[in-house]
Amino acid sequence: MSVETGERHKIIFLVEDNKADIRLIQEVLKHSSIPHQVVTVRNGMDAMTYLRREGEYADALRPDLILLDLNLPRKDGREVLAEIKSDPSLKRIPVVVLTTSKNEEDISQSYELHVNCYITKSRNLNDLFKIVKGIEEFWLATVTLPLE
Amino acid sequence: MNQTDFPSADINFTNFEAQPIHISGKIQPHGVLLVLQEPELTILQASSNTSEVFGISPSKMLQKKLPEVLDEFQVERIKAGLTADSLDFINPTKIWVRKKGDEYLVFDGVFHRSHDGFLILELEPALSQDNIPFLSFYHLARASINQLEATSNLRDFCQIIVQEVRKVTGFDRVMLYKFDDDGHGSVIAEEKLDTMESFLGLHYPESDIPKPARKLFSSNWIRLIPDSHAHAEELFPSINPISQQPVDLTLSILRSASPCHMEYLHNMGVGASLTISLIKEQKLWGLIACHHQTPKYVSYELRKACEFLGRVVFSEISAREETEDYDYRMKLTYIQSTLIDYMSQAENFIDGLVKQQPNLLELTSAQGAAICFGNNCTVIGDTPKTEDLNFLLQWLKNNVQEEVFYTDSLPKIYPDAERFKNVASGLLAIPISPKNYVLWFRPEVIQTVNWGGNPNQAYEAKETETGVRLSPRKSFELWKQTVRLTSLPWKAVEIKAALELRKAIINIVLRQADELAQLAHDLERSNAELKKFAYVASHDLQEPLNQVANYVQLLEMRYQDELDEDAKEFITFAVEGVSLMQTLIDDVLAYSKVDMQGVEFQLTQVETALNKALNNLRTRIAESGASITYEALPTVMADSTQLMQLFQNLIANAIKFRSEKPPEIHVGASRLEDAWLFSVQDNGIGLDPRFAERIFVIFQRLHTRDEYPGTGMGLAICKKIVECHRGRIWVESELGNGATFYFTIPVGGRERERRNGRKTQNHLFSGGQ
Repeated sequence: MSVETGERHKIIFLVEDNKADIRLIQEVLKHSSIPHQVVTVRNGMDAMTYLRREGEYADALRPDLILLDLNLPRKDGREVLAEIKSDPSLKRIPVVVLTTSKNEEDISQSYELHVNCYITKSRNLNDLFKIVKGIEEFWLATVTLPLE
Repeated sequence: MNQTDFPSADINFTNFEAQPIHISGKIQPHGVLLVLQEPELTILQASSNTSEVFGISPSKMLQKKLPEVLDEFQVERIKAGLTADSLDFINPTKIWVRKKGDEYLVFDGVFHRSHDGFLILELEPALSQDNIPFLSFYHLARASINQLEATSNLRDFCQIIVQEVRKVTGFDRVMLYKFDDDGHGSVIAEEKLDTMESFLGLHYPESDIPKPARKLFSSNWIRLIPDSHAHAEELFPSINPISQQPVDLTLSILRSASPCHMEYLHNMGVGASLTISLIKEQKLWGLIACHHQTPKYVSYELRKACEFLGRVVFSEISAREETEDYDYRMKLTYIQSTLIDYMSQAENFIDGLVKQQPNLLELTSAQGAAICFGNNCTVIGDTPKTEDLNFLLQWLKNNVQEEVFYTDSLPKIYPDAERFKNVASGLLAIPISPKNYVLWFRPEVIQTVNWGGNPNQAYEAKETETGVRLSPRKSFELWKQTVRLTSLPWKAVEIKAALELRKAIINIVLRQADELAQLAHDLERSNAELKKFAYVASHDLQEPLNQVANYVQLLEMRYQDELDEDAKEFITFAVEGVSLMQTLIDDVLAYSKVDMQGVEFQLTQVETALNKALNNLRTRIAESGASITYEALPTVMADSTQLMQLFQNLIANAIKFRSEKPPEIHVGASRLEDAWLFSVQDNGIGLDPRFAERIFVIFQRLHTRDEYPGTGMGLAICKKIVECHRGRIWVESELGNGATFYFTIPVGGRERERRNGRKTQNHLFSGGQ
C-alpha cells in the first residue's frame, strides 16, 4: 500500500496487480487538478480487507472512488465487485472497472454486478490521459453522491 | 391345359382328412382276414372271401374255432408261438389249407393283436418264386451298405436306396419322398422306367397324405397294395359281436386303402404300390413309394426285408442328415466369424458386411439383404424397392419388439408385401435399435423350386363324371397354391446366426458410439480451450502490449526535448509494431469467433446485412470516392452478423485494392438449383489467377504492409464464414482488370446446419484450405 497526500484529499482506491499499470495511472494522476490520495492494493483479498477495515487496515480511509482491475490474483475483480455491491456499507462507493478486456461477457457481467462504469484501457497514452481525467472529473467533482 | 385353370376348390380335403381308414372294415381281396378271440381262437369275424380259400362261407365260419378250420398240428404250433413275447417270431407262419383232397393252398400267416384286444390272422398267398427272400435281402442290404460308404451327400445316398429297392422289388418306379417341417413333401430321389415321366423335384401339399394316413404310416411301416383295381372284401359281420364296434384294423397288412387314395393311384396309372415308412424320432420323416403300372404282388418276406432296409438304412440317412446339418452349422459359424472380422476391420461396419466374400447373404442363405441405419439402407442381392423398404421398416418399428423377427410368409401378416413377393415372401429381421435393422429376404418358394419335368405336359387333372380328380400335376398345382406367398422356411441355425450377428453389430456400434462420444468430448474440451485462448488473446496478450505502447509514449511525452530524431523514429517503429500486433490479435480473434457452433441461422435479408456493412465502411467509402451498386437481393438462411462481416471484408478489400480509378463495386445475386450465388465485383488492381487460391489462406498476403496494410486474415475469415454456411467462395480475376469474388449460400441452411452442426469445429490455425 502506498499513500500519497494531496491538499484536499479525495481517496482513490486502486486495485491493480500490474506494477507498470499502477505506476502509469499514478503518473497520469499527477496531472490531475483535483487534490487526491491514491491508495493501492495488488490483489482482491487485500482489497476487501482494506474496505472492511480489518487487520492492518483498521484505520483505513474510506475511498471516494474505486478503480478496479478484473483479473487479479487470489480473488478476482468480479468477486471483489460482487462483494462491494452486496455490502450495505460499501455499495454506494462508485466503482470503475478499468481493464484490458473487451470481452462481452466481462462487460455485461460487470454491469449485472452493478458496476458504475466499465472502461477499457487504451494503448494510446493520450486516450488514457483523457479517460483518467474524465473519471476524476466526473466521479470526484461532478456527481453528487450520498454521504456514508 | 393351362396350369392356372385348375378348379382347386372342387375337392373337399377336409372330408379326405376325416375319413377313418382304420375302421373301414374292408380288406384287399388277395388275402383272407380272420378276427379271433383268444385263447380258444374262436372266429368272431371273417372276410367275405372265405369260401374261395376254405370252401366255407363267412357265416358258417363264425363261432368255429381255428382248429376246426386248420388241422390240429398247425394250430398247436401257432398256439405255442402266440405265447411268446413278440409275435414277430411266428410272423410269417406258413399255413397250409386243404382245398380239396390233397390239394393244399400255402399261405403266409401273419398275426397281430388289434388295439381293441382281438387276435387278427391274415393269410396271404405264399408265392413259390419268392422263396429266396434272404438272398434278395442280403443283396439289397450289402449293395446299399457298400455304396453308403462311398457316398457323402444325402441326396446321392437316397438315390442309391431307390435304385436298390427297385432292383430287388422290380417296381416300375421307386421314389423317396421327404416331408418338410410344415407337412408338405417333395420327391428327392427317383428310379423308374425310362418311358415314364419323372416326378423328381415335384412338391406335394400336406393334404395329399392326410393326417390319418400319416398316422397309419407311422404305426404300420410297410403297406402293400398289390392290385389297385381289386374290389375290397368286407368283414362279416361288419360289427364285432364282442365289442359291438367295427374292429380296429390299424395294424392290418391287408386293410384296404381309402377310396380317395385308390383313386389317386388310378389317376397316376398305378396298378400296384408298396410304401415303406421312414421314421425319425417317432415322426414320419418320409416314405419310399414304389409304383407299378400293373398289379404286382410282393411276398411278406421281401416286404419285411424292405422294411428292414427302411429301418437300418434310414438310421444312416438320419445320420447323414445330421452331418449335413452339422456341416451347414459349421459353415454358418465360419461365415459369421469372418463377417465379424470384416466388420471390425472396416471403417464402417456395413462395408464389412457387403463388400467382401462371404457376405451378409450367405449367413442365412438369403437372396437379398438390407442394412438400414439412420436414413440409409445399404442393400445387397434382390430386395424390395427403397420406398417399399421404408414402409416395411415403419411396420417393423410398430409391430416388432423382439430381438429377432422371422416369417416365411410375410404377405400373410403384412399384405403390402404381396407386391414384392418375388423378392421378399420370407423375411428375417434383427432390430439393432428401435430405428436400425438388418433384414434378409427370400423370394416366394415357387421361384426356387426345382421343376422335374415339363410343366405343360401330362399329369393334368382329369375331368370325369365325378368331377376333377387328383393327379400328380394337380397335386403340384395345389401345392403351388398352398405355398403361394411363402418362402423356404428359415432354419433354426440361420436364425441363430442372425442373432449372433446382432450381438456382434451391437458391440461394434456401441464401441463406435463410445469412440464418437469420446471424440465429441475431446472436441468440446478443445472448444472450451479455444474459448479460453480467445480470452487470453483479448486480455492477457493485450496487457503487455498496452504496457509497451504506453511507456514508450510516456517516454516520448516526458523527454520530448531531450530526444534526437533517431530516438523519435525508433519510438515510432516500436509503437507501430505494437499496433500491428494488436491488429493481428484482433483479426485472429475475429477468425476464431467464426465457427459452426456460433452460427445462428435465421431468415436474413441480405440487403440489410449489406447495408450494415456499408455503414461500417462509410468513412472508407467516402474517402475513396467509391460507388457501390447492388441488385435485388434475396432472403437466405444465414447468420446475419457473419453475413454482414463477409460483405464488409469483401467490400473493404475491393476499396483497399483499388486502381487509379475511383472504385466501382457491384454486388450481384442469382439463384442456382440449391443455393444462391452472390458476387462482389470491383474495378481494382485485380490479381494473378495463380494466387486465386492462396489469398484465402490465413496470413497469406500478396503485398508488403507498406504497399497495403493488413494481416492477411480478411479473406481467410470470409472463407470460413462461407464454409460455416456450407457454401463455396472463389475469385475470378486478371491482373489489372478488377476482380470478382463469388460465394454461395445453400438454400435450406437450417437443415444442413442441424445435420452437420456438431461435426465442424473451430480449428483456429487450420483455416486456409
